[in-house]
Amino acid sequence: MGSMFLYLVLSGLTNGSLYALLALGLVIIYKATTVVNFAHGEVFMMGGFFAYTFYVLLGLAYPASLLLAVALSLLLGMVTERLAYRPLIKASAISMVLASVGFSFVLRGVARVTWGGKGDFIPFPPIFSYDPIVLGSLLITPQQLIILSGALMCMGVFAAFFRWTKLGKMMQATAENQRAAALVGIRVERVFAIIWGVGACVGALAGVLMAPVTLLYPDIGATLLVKAFASAVLGGFGNLPGAALGGLSMGVIENLAGGYLHTSLVDISAFLVIMLVLVVRPTGFFGAKAVRKV
Amino acid sequence: VQLGSRLAILLGLIIGLALVPWLLNPYLVFVTNLAFIYAILALGLNLLLGYTGQFAFANAAFFGIGAYAAGLLQVKLGISFCLALPGAALLTAAIGVVVGLPALRLSGMYLALVTLAFAQFTQWVMIHWDSFTFGAGGFKSPAPSFGPLPLGTEQGMYYLSLVAAVALTILTWNITRSRIGRAFVAIRDSEVAAQALAIDLAAYKTMAFALSAFYAGMAGALYSAVLRFVAPEGFDLFQMVLHFSMVVVGGLASIAGSILGAALILALQEALRMVKGIQEILFGGLLMVAIVFLPDGLFSFLRSLLSAWGEPLHRPTGATRALWGKMHDDPP
Repeated sequence: MGSMFLYLVLSGLTNGSLYALLALGLVIIYKATTVVNFAHGEVFMMGGFFAYTFYVLLGLAYPASLLLAVALSLLLGMVTERLAYRPLIKASAISMVLASVGFSFVLRGVARVTWGGKGDFIPFPPIFSYDPIVLGSLLITPQQLIILSGALMCMGVFAAFFRWTKLGKMMQATAENQRAAALVGIRVERVFAIIWGVGACVGALAGVLMAPVTLLYPDIGATLLVKAFASAVLGGFGNLPGAALGGLSMGVIENLAGGYLHTSLVDISAFLVIMLVLVVRPTGFFGAKAVRKV
Repeated sequence: VQLGSRLAILLGLIIGLALVPWLLNPYLVFVTNLAFIYAILALGLNLLLGYTGQFAFANAAFFGIGAYAAGLLQVKLGISFCLALPGAALLTAAIGVVVGLPALRLSGMYLALVTLAFAQFTQWVMIHWDSFTFGAGGFKSPAPSFGPLPLGTEQGMYYLSLVAAVALTILTWNITRSRIGRAFVAIRDSEVAAQALAIDLAAYKTMAFALSAFYAGMAGALYSAVLRFVAPEGFDLFQMVLHFSMVVVGGLASIAGSILGAALILALQEALRMVKGIQEILFGGLLMVAIVFLPDGLFSFLRSLLSAWGEPLHRPTGATRALWGKMHDDPP
């Protein structure tokens, strides 16, 4: 019982760290632009497929494939900004979200045409084939450790980036108040483009880390996006540490619910979390109280 | 005179459509029949999205619930189609009220997220509740018979869909010109201002959700009887993108636009019977292009071509943005 609990928590944390990364990308973009990017799940999926192309199809080394995949996703994020966000900056927010929904399906279609049809699940070979580590009665696969440490490292890097670099501070300023940021000489449009790029990078990183544990398929983005939404909502949308914590708790919640209550709950706990949290406490559990402005 | 010429155009159109089963081949009759169903869907979504400004992902799920309800009422409970059809529509409307409840507290993107979760959940239930919904493979829905009328199933369904589409178009027209429709538009443009005008937000938002769910449920019930087959595949998020494309390409907050958009999307889908990936690229791209380059939809062309077309253009304004809480723009 004890070891099962530990196992569920640990693998929950592993999945949760990926949800956290994905949620971070969503929240970075949301904070700066107040747009929820419904194409974010597809960026994650594309990240995985890019890595697959470089690593498996072209036979490059894993670190090189990772870097190339993330660089391509940066580009993809900036393209999203140019196509779906900037032309609509003066239009209603509904138009913007609709455009991102449209774009998500374009990406999904591109992936389906390029890498395989519906139901074609592409296996991604494991990167390291070490034996599982045995800790007492607990079995840990190296891939889990890589995901967990990789995700935590990314979060650390991004926290440092936002806190200490000039670009990070410019992004924070833009998110805080666009007009004031423009007044002190920040090029708001350029910062937006970079923010979309950075958001996509984080999403793609999650995709590259995830690919070896799950299979790749064009619809994986939609599944993971809902989990990322659940994480962001748990943390109070617009709160970066909240999104990270929300992601980790989401992973643990779904694993425990699946392990102790019913296996089907792994699939649907994200939906239930979103519906419950938003109806009961829309500001999330780690977020500050939002003030409704008129 | 203007009203007269518009009525003449519409009556001519309806009479022309009524003759279709005698003039065209069975395939085209089937496609026209689907066009009526899509038009009902677009009208319902436009009431919620275009007029009331509530952005929800639930329409495709409601469509599916209507289809499953109609099919399962007949297959599991042995209820006849003439009762299953209104039953399915009413049941979907009731679920619409429940889904709309969070909308009373949430707006903008939170509503979008809740309804997205609801849509995915519905899809999951259709696939995994095997014992009740027949699982991922779907099930056959019985062919409705039109008893004493001298009509086969195909013809009967055609006329039934035509009557439903015309009736719901007239209903939408009347709603949008009534106190209710004006309340919807007021809520869309500014909830605060609407409240200040003594518009009961809770009542009208619930009504908008119930109405659009009723339309989608009716469309779903008709769809299940036309296809005589119900499977979860057809009610996923891609279906939702089709619905969004219909109202955006046709024209948000426009009745003629809804019908135009529905016909166009269906025509594209049927003319280019392509693999799923290409369809996703095409309709996703169409949605983006229409939003960026044609924000008023095809309807704006119709309006400039036919001066007699007097449908008031309830255009969504920039004020819709206020709904979404532009939180970081201005200092408090």
